[in-house]
Amino acid sequence: MKLIKFLSCVLSLVFISSYVYAITVIVPNGGEGDGLRAAAKDYTALTGVEVEFVQAPYEQVFDKAANAANTKSGSYDIVLMDDPWIPFFAENGHLAEMGPYFDALGVDGPDNDFLGKSMAICRNPYNSGPYVCIPYVGNAQMFFYNTAAFAEAGLDGPPADWDSVHAAMQKISASGSFGYVLRAQEGNPVVAQYMPIFWSFCGKLFDENRNATVNSPEGMKALEFFLKLRDVSPPGAASMNQEETGQYILQGMAKSTINWPNWVTNFEDPSQSNVVGEMTYAAIPSGDCAGSSEIGHWALGIASASKNQQAAFDFIHWASSKEQIDISAGRGNPPVRFSTFTNPELTSQAKFRHFPVLMEAINYSTPRPRHPKWPELEQVFGVYLSKAVAGVMSPKEALDKANAELDKILK
Amino acid sequence: MFSVFSADKYLRFYLIIPAIVLLLLLTLFPIVYILYFSFFEYSSNVDVPHQFIGLENFKRLFVDEAFHNALKNTIFFTVVAVSIEFALGLGFALLVMNFIEKVSIIKTILLIPMMIAPIAVAITWKFLYAPFVSPFNHLMMKLGQAPILFTSDVKLAMPSIIFVDIWQWTPFIFLMMLAGLASLPKEPYEAAQIDGASAWQQFRDLTWKFLQPVIIITLLLRIMDAFRLFDQVFILTRGGPASVTDTLSFHIYKVAFRFWDIGWAAAMSLFMLAVTLTISIWFVGKLNVEK
Repeated sequence: MKLIKFLSCVLSLVFISSYVYAITVIVPNGGEGDGLRAAAKDYTALTGVEVEFVQAPYEQVFDKAANAANTKSGSYDIVLMDDPWIPFFAENGHLAEMGPYFDALGVDGPDNDFLGKSMAICRNPYNSGPYVCIPYVGNAQMFFYNTAAFAEAGLDGPPADWDSVHAAMQKISASGSFGYVLRAQEGNPVVAQYMPIFWSFCGKLFDENRNATVNSPEGMKALEFFLKLRDVSPPGAASMNQEETGQYILQGMAKSTINWPNWVTNFEDPSQSNVVGEMTYAAIPSGDCAGSSEIGHWALGIASASKNQQAAFDFIHWASSKEQIDISAGRGNPPVRFSTFTNPELTSQAKFRHFPVLMEAINYSTPRPRHPKWPELEQVFGVYLSKAVAGVMSPKEALDKANAELDKILK
Repeated sequence: MFSVFSADKYLRFYLIIPAIVLLLLLTLFPIVYILYFSFFEYSSNVDVPHQFIGLENFKRLFVDEAFHNALKNTIFFTVVAVSIEFALGLGFALLVMNFIEKVSIIKTILLIPMMIAPIAVAITWKFLYAPFVSPFNHLMMKLGQAPILFTSDVKLAMPSIIFVDIWQWTPFIFLMMLAGLASLPKEPYEAAQIDGASAWQQFRDLTWKFLQPVIIITLLLRIMDAFRLFDQVFILTRGGPASVTDTLSFHIYKVAFRFWDIGWAAAMSLFMLAVTLTISIWFVGKLNVEK
């Protein structure tokens, strides 16, 4: 009888401890989520805390996390968020502020090793409010191009302006390859592709009174150039996402694109790439204004409905430490710390030769507008951009309609 | 015992009250809840209450272009897909009934697509349509041709989705028609043959007329199902390219779970319910006339 009581107690303790210390994290499919999963195994081995993962395609991460937040289910303790989602989660009260947890550690906030632009997105309001997340994956767009193909087309130095780059793309396309591959699937993909072009032609989404201005003369010029990129791209751009554009580069069929740095790992992997060592990773070329990358960090936030907030914070704090970000970078995820970007053990490897350009891209990047309705704004804008790319709507009609729709959402 | 029941003529009604209440809770409550939300502007912010906006969400049904586009796409899909499925299903059923009735393996093979879960069908076709990895496009590329962008081309995306639906649901119509044909009386055909009726006349004047109740039920089920198309769009195209495959169900999903505009999504859902209900009532009316 005593033995049974003893075993019952032990089993209860095991059950209770596993219940209390198990944390659930929702992450996207692909490198960002895989990297964190790998880190979590080390964390469990180190601390005994179980970290469970729910992994889903990009859009479904938002859908599931937002659903859990709105219903206050507490299904996920941690959300690995794309940075434009942060205002939605933060301003609607779905993220726990991290200040009290840093206070308990006796520090003001994350250490100064994080890049300034990386930290700015994790404060709500942007760059000024309390911390609501910690950056984990340092995505910022770069211009990827095949060095030899562009040199042959007359572009020897780094691509400085869109006119000279486009002239080279046309020559490449005339010779049988595709000068560029455009990612223009409606919604997030086409908007992410369009924004650096839009900014390099001095476009602004809103004026100071929050009126939409996507159909400004600058916006028209940007879209007209965007369509020039479509014309040197493979057909079907209007439904291409990263997978398709990445494949065109990997196969060597297209010679340039704007993409996220986590693709560098694929391009430099001989088992899946025909272009190992052939690509150069550069800053976004300029138009009428200086080129600027779109920042697209993935950041770790604690759900306000989580019942394990302290355990969630402990994991985030550990996963974003210098040592772990170094390991994460080695696994292929772009870093967010200065020390990692300048770590000679990494920068001496050919596959990390883009680190200086990427750090520069982050430092001079532009965030997407910090608006809680950004997912809706992006979807609506993306539909009209995609229609212009598909040729079912003229550029002017697409931008005029997009502007009107964006204004309706903003009012 | 009998006298106890007959003593209170309402007792039998009392006894089924719990079942009725449960049924109402399960069926009517969600609809009433959706109706309630359709009068509000839903707030995702935990500190901001939902705002009552009266009939605004219903007025939006008349002016929202994205909704009109989704409705147009849904109607186009439903009409084209169900028409082709019906023609093929009936044709196969007549063929099997008249010529290869004994070959049961053919019937089984024809039914396989219907047995697969719609989401699994969509995932399978996603690979079959893929620009790089599908066997067909792989062959095209080996031959030096550009891959065919089944789900990426504005002109091909909707036909590609319709084709998948035809592949999956023609067997259902085939099965229903086959059951209908098998239950037809023999005598009118024998009489028609004695009178010298041609095969076409027998089909037009006998088979078609006798099959009417089965056809009505089959079309009702298929139209209701096609009108709610979601799985294939979600997996294959996400409503693109350029919104040409954005159907009502998928549009409502986006509005509800990506934009968190629950009130507007509720109004669209109620519109969908009203349409399917109207179609059902019309078909059931036709069925009663046929009887």
